[in-house]
Amino acid sequence: MVDQSIAGPAKAMTSASEGDRSARARIVILLLCLGLVIAALLSLTSGASDASALNVIRDGLFGAMPGDAALSARDSLIVYDIRLPRVILGMLVGAALAVSGAVMQGLFRNPLADPGLVGVSAGSSLGAVAVIVLGGTMLAPLTAPLGTLALPLAAFCGGLATTLVLYQVATRQGRTSVATMLLAGIALAALAMALTGILIFMADDRQLRDLTFWQLGSLGGATWAKIASVGPVIMLALVAMPFLARGLNALALGEATAGHLGIPVQRLKYTAIIGVSAAVGASVAVSGGIGFVGIVVPHLLRLAIGPDNRYLLPASALLGASLLLVADAVARTIVAPAELPIGIVTAISGAPFFLWILLRKRGVVDL
Amino acid sequence: MIETRDVSVAIAGKRIVSGVDFDARPGEVAAIVGPNGSGKTTFLKALSGELAYTGRVALNGRDLSALKPVEIAVQRAVLPQATTLSFPFTVREVVKLGLVGGRSGVLPGEDARLPERALARVDLDGFAGRFYQELSGGEQQRVQLARVLCQVWAPLLDGRPRYLFLDEPVSSLDIKHQLIIMNIARDFARRGGGVVAILHDLNLTAMYADRIFVMHRGRLAATGSPREVLSDDLIEKVFDCRLKVGVLPAGNVPFVLPQSATSVC
Repeated sequence: MVDQSIAGPAKAMTSASEGDRSARARIVILLLCLGLVIAALLSLTSGASDASALNVIRDGLFGAMPGDAALSARDSLIVYDIRLPRVILGMLVGAALAVSGAVMQGLFRNPLADPGLVGVSAGSSLGAVAVIVLGGTMLAPLTAPLGTLALPLAAFCGGLATTLVLYQVATRQGRTSVATMLLAGIALAALAMALTGILIFMADDRQLRDLTFWQLGSLGGATWAKIASVGPVIMLALVAMPFLARGLNALALGEATAGHLGIPVQRLKYTAIIGVSAAVGASVAVSGGIGFVGIVVPHLLRLAIGPDNRYLLPASALLGASLLLVADAVARTIVAPAELPIGIVTAISGAPFFLWILLRKRGVVDL
Repeated sequence: MIETRDVSVAIAGKRIVSGVDFDARPGEVAAIVGPNGSGKTTFLKALSGELAYTGRVALNGRDLSALKPVEIAVQRAVLPQATTLSFPFTVREVVKLGLVGGRSGVLPGEDARLPERALARVDLDGFAGRFYQELSGGEQQRVQLARVLCQVWAPLLDGRPRYLFLDEPVSSLDIKHQLIIMNIARDFARRGGGVVAILHDLNLTAMYADRIFVMHRGRLAATGSPREVLSDDLIEKVFDCRLKVGVLPAGNVPFVLPQSATSVC
């Protein structure tokens, strides 16, 4: 027999926070921070060369230990100029893709929205390929004054145009039809890919090889210069998007109800679209088509901490960054010394996961 | 005070509401009744700032079209007919969304417990941890009402009345919960707020409404107290159905009226 005097207050205590998952969300976010640090360290220490990042970091912090072989200049170069930019770029791109996925899902009120699936990435690709192929010739007057910003800017414009068209087509009176959204996404992606195809047809052999690897998705070309050109854009989008969290939460009740709650819905929608386009555009510009991060990460997190965007968005950034580092480590080591495009790794693991979500949530698609 | 003058609403070129002069006063439950398709919901959507209208709507003396969404949200909360959720929120998380605007009107620090209090008001004690999508239609409707109550918990804020707009708040509820919800509405009005409710049950309307607005084909057909408005002629004209007010069924046919409730449900 349970002692009521003990069972009573204990029950009252659990019911006080019942249905409130914010405490659990905070713990998960803390664990994700830890996970990201570990993923980053692993990523710095692994690779085709045996250069140990731990030595480099230790030397950097404390100076070479007496009796310890001083770090070779070669190792230092590998870690600082090859692996570190790659790790930072991987974190930026992973965070950008995952947060963009979560924001799009909130915006479209649907857990299946993803920049890659609905054609936003294809639109960004078109913009980026246009600059790569035509940047030296037809578009030179436009790209020359922009310098390294031309590529991310073009990718942003491509993504923005696709998202705006998609939203206009798929949303009527505040209701987004899932079927229309996915089908419109297919059509837009097909159109963007056809136009990209024309550009590839015009490309010379050297551009062709670059484009092929870039389209499959890779962090291989990470340099400090690239980080300098897209890093600020992605950081700005990442910092801005959590401010949308409360609005996106209200939007889960429908556009009309969000408006009743005092959310400026139109402004919210356009801020979200611009933020997603900027983050996806910048990511595509430097790393090509890396798919499924935006759908897998928020979905896993919703299972763990629920759909509250105040926690979901930062948690998505952290888990997206970690997952992309892990995927990149796999891509770099699995066929070493050669390197698999990271887009293949994320697609091979992400596509079956997407099918699994579909199986579990067929009702969501049958709207 | 909410006042409308000559409000008309057209959707896709078709006129749904024509020239409605309406007012909702603090301290009163104003009921809007009328047959299906008579423009009740459309009118309420214009009133809540959701649909474009012509004419004039004043909310506590200020023109509705000049107010920002957040300023309107402080003064009124809206319960729609039904709300579907796109993500698996718990009941508590849904109710807490009512606090997004941050002007519930309770003392600082009491907001944290407000979802539980609101759930207790709508007879959903202990439902906080359940998933919204797993509840029945009637339970979901009461969760939404709890959310709406959180938004304007205090019927008066800074000395100004606040309003509840309820679109068929009891349509999917059993008789006990119909009474509970209507008691909440009446209590909100007694404490200085205003209530605008679209209702279909004429007996409940007669029991709870201070004033009735009868809509018919997009226009206001009658306005007044239940005693003034509910007449045989009006009901026949508006509902296209011959009915007698205040006539009991013959012989041993059982009937149950909400007015007969003795316990405070």
